[in-house]
Amino acid sequence: MATLLRFGLENRLIVGAFALLIALAGIQSYRGLPVDAFPDVSPNLVQVFTTTEGLSPEDVEKYVTYPVEAAMNGLPGLERIRSVSNFGLSVVNVYFQDEVDIYFARQLVGERLQEAREQIPEGFGEPEMGPISTGMGLVLFYYLEDSSKQYSLEELRTIQDWIVKFQLQTVPGVTEVLGIGGSEKQFHVLIHPENLLRYDLTVAEVIARIRENNLNVGAQYIERNAEEYVVRSVGLATNLEDLEHIVLKSEDGTPVFLSQVADIEIGGALRRGLQTRNGTEEVVAGMVIKLFGTNSSTVIERVEEKIQTINAALPPGVQIVPYYEQKTLVEASVSTVQSALVQGIALVSLVIVIFLGALRPSVVVALSIPFSVLFATFGMGQLGMSANLMSLGGLAIAIGMMVDGTIVLVENVDRLLREGSESMTRKEVVLQACSEVARPIAFAISIIIIVFLPLFTLEGVEGKTFRPLAYTVALAMAGSLIFALVIAPMLSMSVMRRPKGESDGPRWLQLILRGYRPLVATFVRHRVMALGVAGALLALGASAFPFLGSEFTPRLQEGTLVLRLTMPPSISLTESKRVTMLVERRMMKVEEVTGVVTRIGRGEVGAHADPVNSAEMYILLTPRDTWSVNSQEELEEVIRDGVGRVPGVLTNFTQPIAMTVDELLEGVRAELAIKLYGDDLDELAEKAQEVAQVVGRVRGAADVQVDQVSGTPQLVLRVNRHAVARYGMNVEDVQKTVRAAVGGEVAGQIFEGVRRFDIFVRFAPEYRSTPEAIGNILVAGPGDIRVPLSELADIEELIGPRQITREDTQRFITIQCNVLDRDIGSFVEEAQAAIDATVELPAGYFVTWGGQFRLQQEANRRLAVVVPITLLVIFVLLFSSFNSLRNAGLIILNIPLALVGGIVALWVSGQNLSVPASVGFIALFGIALENGMVLVTYLNQLVAEGKPIDEASVDGACLRLRPVLMTAATTALGLLPLLFSSGTGSEVQRPLATVVVGGLVSSTVLTLLVVPALYKWFSAPDSGTVKGGVGPAASGAPIG
Amino acid sequence: MKRIRTLVLATALALFSLPACSPEVVPEEHADEHIEEGHEGAVVLSEAERAEFGVEVGVAGPGLIAQTVELPGEIRANEDLLAHIVPRFPGIVKSVKKAVGDQVANGDVLATVESSESLSTYSVKSLLEGLVIARHVSVGEAVTTERELFVVADLSNVWVDFQAFQKHLPLLEVGQRIHISAGHGLPEAEALVSYISPVVEETTRTATVRAVVENTDGGWRPGLFVTGRVEVSGDEVPVAIPTTAIQTVGEVPVVFVSDEGGFEPRPIRIGRRGPHFVEVTNGLEPGEEFVSAGGFTLKAELQRGELGEGHGH
Repeated sequence: MATLLRFGLENRLIVGAFALLIALAGIQSYRGLPVDAFPDVSPNLVQVFTTTEGLSPEDVEKYVTYPVEAAMNGLPGLERIRSVSNFGLSVVNVYFQDEVDIYFARQLVGERLQEAREQIPEGFGEPEMGPISTGMGLVLFYYLEDSSKQYSLEELRTIQDWIVKFQLQTVPGVTEVLGIGGSEKQFHVLIHPENLLRYDLTVAEVIARIRENNLNVGAQYIERNAEEYVVRSVGLATNLEDLEHIVLKSEDGTPVFLSQVADIEIGGALRRGLQTRNGTEEVVAGMVIKLFGTNSSTVIERVEEKIQTINAALPPGVQIVPYYEQKTLVEASVSTVQSALVQGIALVSLVIVIFLGALRPSVVVALSIPFSVLFATFGMGQLGMSANLMSLGGLAIAIGMMVDGTIVLVENVDRLLREGSESMTRKEVVLQACSEVARPIAFAISIIIIVFLPLFTLEGVEGKTFRPLAYTVALAMAGSLIFALVIAPMLSMSVMRRPKGESDGPRWLQLILRGYRPLVATFVRHRVMALGVAGALLALGASAFPFLGSEFTPRLQEGTLVLRLTMPPSISLTESKRVTMLVERRMMKVEEVTGVVTRIGRGEVGAHADPVNSAEMYILLTPRDTWSVNSQEELEEVIRDGVGRVPGVLTNFTQPIAMTVDELLEGVRAELAIKLYGDDLDELAEKAQEVAQVVGRVRGAADVQVDQVSGTPQLVLRVNRHAVARYGMNVEDVQKTVRAAVGGEVAGQIFEGVRRFDIFVRFAPEYRSTPEAIGNILVAGPGDIRVPLSELADIEELIGPRQITREDTQRFITIQCNVLDRDIGSFVEEAQAAIDATVELPAGYFVTWGGQFRLQQEANRRLAVVVPITLLVIFVLLFSSFNSLRNAGLIILNIPLALVGGIVALWVSGQNLSVPASVGFIALFGIALENGMVLVTYLNQLVAEGKPIDEASVDGACLRLRPVLMTAATTALGLLPLLFSSGTGSEVQRPLATVVVGGLVSSTVLTLLVVPALYKWFSAPDSGTVKGGVGPAASGAPIG
Repeated sequence: MKRIRTLVLATALALFSLPACSPEVVPEEHADEHIEEGHEGAVVLSEAERAEFGVEVGVAGPGLIAQTVELPGEIRANEDLLAHIVPRFPGIVKSVKKAVGDQVANGDVLATVESSESLSTYSVKSLLEGLVIARHVSVGEAVTTERELFVVADLSNVWVDFQAFQKHLPLLEVGQRIHISAGHGLPEAEALVSYISPVVEETTRTATVRAVVENTDGGWRPGLFVTGRVEVSGDEVPVAIPTTAIQTVGEVPVVFVSDEGGFEPRPIRIGRRGPHFVEVTNGLEPGEEFVSAGGFTLKAELQRGELGEGHGH
């Protein structure tokens, strides 16, 4: 240690250069940091989407989901596979362990997808990986405004898909642009079946003819007069007319044109979602997804610039209007912490000046802040972290603590310079002053870092949320350690001078000291009193604790409100739209609402897999200062009142990022999730009900709810094999006709330049829109036979599954449940026993227990190990520093005393126990320990010098008053801006700051009053053998 | 929600001996307001809401259930008014007097043929009054007695032959009204089923159902493709409701019946079905008020409690 200090002092230039280098690297690194609003808590997953037009959930599962899942099994680093088979869409989420690199994971999935593709029957869809992004990747949403009102929705969608989308996708950092709303343009060939009969044609023939009459070929080249001519045979249909003139057959030279059999028109593709606005119109919209790991704000900025350019190129009257972007949020959250940082730095510097009463030492101390911060940003860059609310929040929290090491050091230098003998050179004085405190500083800072260790062991969402904070705190503290031990000595030597006069600190401090000395002396004399105070405080804390509410991480306010509508699963898109627009109109009447843009269902596949019964309304608001209420929560109330009740619709407020992340986590919100695995859907549903009933009867069960898995009506055509055989047909003849007639079939594409549009062959609506009409569809058989479908198949209506969820390749149903007033462990045991006794599960069916309770148990187990280990490590550190179990014990005693303040502060401010609050408690441990250490070290030194313990207790406490008050004040004031900030994200930082500030108060009071008092009991039994804890001090340095 | 309590407790308790008490859980704010319900299973809607959501109320009463069958068909010349004209003797055609489309009277000379046996020229005459609809002969041709030279048809009325599939047969009977249309702005007509073939055609498994239509203006050209809609029954039933009133709850058809300020789903049994109205044989009494349109809103409201968390993804 001494060598390090000496080196620092002797090679000041090198140290200076080193400091500058780190600072520059920090600045450089900060500029390159990706900036996000919050830490990304999305799980590490690769999504595989497969659209299979018109297939029911059961068939999607059978033909698509299963092969994809099967192919993904056994991938390295795989955590689990979960899939949802919806109508026409299969989504397989392949979750990887957090350590797995996303590109590596995608590569693995991509390779296996090849296998899966071979297993999926032809024409049942191509599995594709979702965008390379995360839950926070949806950075900007926009819609197309057509003020000229002369473009149809199909035309607008074409503009979106072929102009806007393509241009935006070229922006660096954008990985995907997904369109929704309007309808994709298609060339519709609407067949009138009686015409097929008239001209003796079949649907299959019509489709084949269209294909055969729509192609270009290349025919190599010919040579002519030493030149080459490329031969190109052009036969592509390019417009409606070309289609109309396709000849289907020719009877005695009389052609039958396509137009004689079908209506040909431009129409919209079938869709599973749309976008509405303000309750007045349907719009075409798009969402921009940013690439994994890119800087949100830069990407958004570039996208916005690009939008300007595109707007200029769009047809007059058409404009891209962004209605949601993350940039505001990113900027707001970052500016919240940034301003907290800046204010914190200012306040801390002010405190330093006030306490030290001199400018030069203050400069040395204050410089530790930028150095530590830049060191931390340098480290963040190296670790690939992003700057966000949490990581920068860690810095804001650490501001006050960063200076502590240097304060102790500079204070000591200052004191020694003042008191030290003239004979010593300044260098020697500085060296000695530094040596005296170097070890306790190193220990204190290490302890703060160690105290944050439990945060690193957090997993899941909390882990991802708070680990960045732990990292930056640790980094900043490491930086402050380097500063205190290497740079501060150099700076002190270069900057600080021997103070003239004998001022013992500023005058006000003297005044405090004058009051403090008799007080501490009293406490030292009447130790029982000190015990009483400590005990009373503990009792206060203990009695306040039960009154604290508990909540998960307070909701981060994203500044954008989303009202989510959930409608019955059987709802049609048309009805869904009608109801949604109705709600939009009601919402527009709320004064604060300037607009509503709603997405119903899903558009282009890649981000959302919502069915048509789900709508997300993005609410555009007037500026915050014009609201009639003060907070987002209150505004939600206002809007909820404005919307009123909506029959048949479940409404709840959410926020864009939270919503997407929840969707990816697919977590169960309830404490207990009973998953029933099995094969048969009906059986599963039935058994799940039974399980729910049994569990509901167990004492403590509340809110038992079975996932709704059915509810989508189906019209099932069961082909009658005997009937088909009688007519000499194949089942396929029937199926193909049904698919083409009812579902429609793509028969090639029409090219307009590079734009391509499907030719969609289908029966005209009146021939397929009722069960009766479908029954009348004629199926062609061998010869001239035409048989109505109803002769060949039984048509029944039934209620089918709305979706099939699978985990690890098994179907399951979740039964959710909360547990009141009893321990979950025993509840699970009892419920399991009850299920075993009463519910008869068929072979292959089994039940697993999960939910928050599982995570809670895991967290419990982990913390039960980690927290004691941390404490043990701290204790060992303390012991190795002080060489005394009692000293170490005394310092550890600071922790409960500090907790009291935190608890009381939470209680008084009416906040709940939450994850950030507990992070605050953890930070508090460190600070309390640091304070205790500083004092005890000093007391030890005094005792080692031979002072009687009582006298040493009082003198030591008085001497250490300034550094203890100062470190406490800097830490507390560093947090003040967070405490009073009302900016975006402050709701997460506030509980943390409250706990630390509250705890600091109690901890400081106790450090200054109780610790000196109790010192006697905790000092080494034979004061003569006390080594004094710190090496140089034990060597009998002249102190005070 | 619970996890954090654990975390806080674990950290706090590990260091800070506290009485074993668990902090109050702040009740999760339920995101949705409560909707008043009349009594169990009934949905209450105000007048304004009904108007806004398009919920219409009607009174159950008698109605006509018209059941129809649609059949593809073709216009054919009435075979009772059709003449195939053949030469009496083989010979060489000397002259042809009439062309396709010419109106001829009974006995009009259509062509002259020189008999190969007698070398005398004789006239081929029309056997009825009507139009020449086919001619298979030119001057100089050698014809035999098997050779059909002309087809003359009286098109003042024509046959419409429909193909009836197996499933239609029990519904059809002679004398039913049939509405005939050819689409594309061509004429429409009403006629009666005059004949149903006693046998089913072996390859297509269809039976011919015939109606005769007047064709004074010649609009019903033989060969024209038509669609016939037969009203197979048109019964007055005591309770008929529009098809829009039927909702399916579970797999049971229900109607929402007005009941003490609310609407209650009532399972019904459906009798005969028409394209727009169906007969209710059980579950709805005449005079009761029921939701005739917009019932989905009510069904949705009933199901709302089940929507819960498990929304679709």
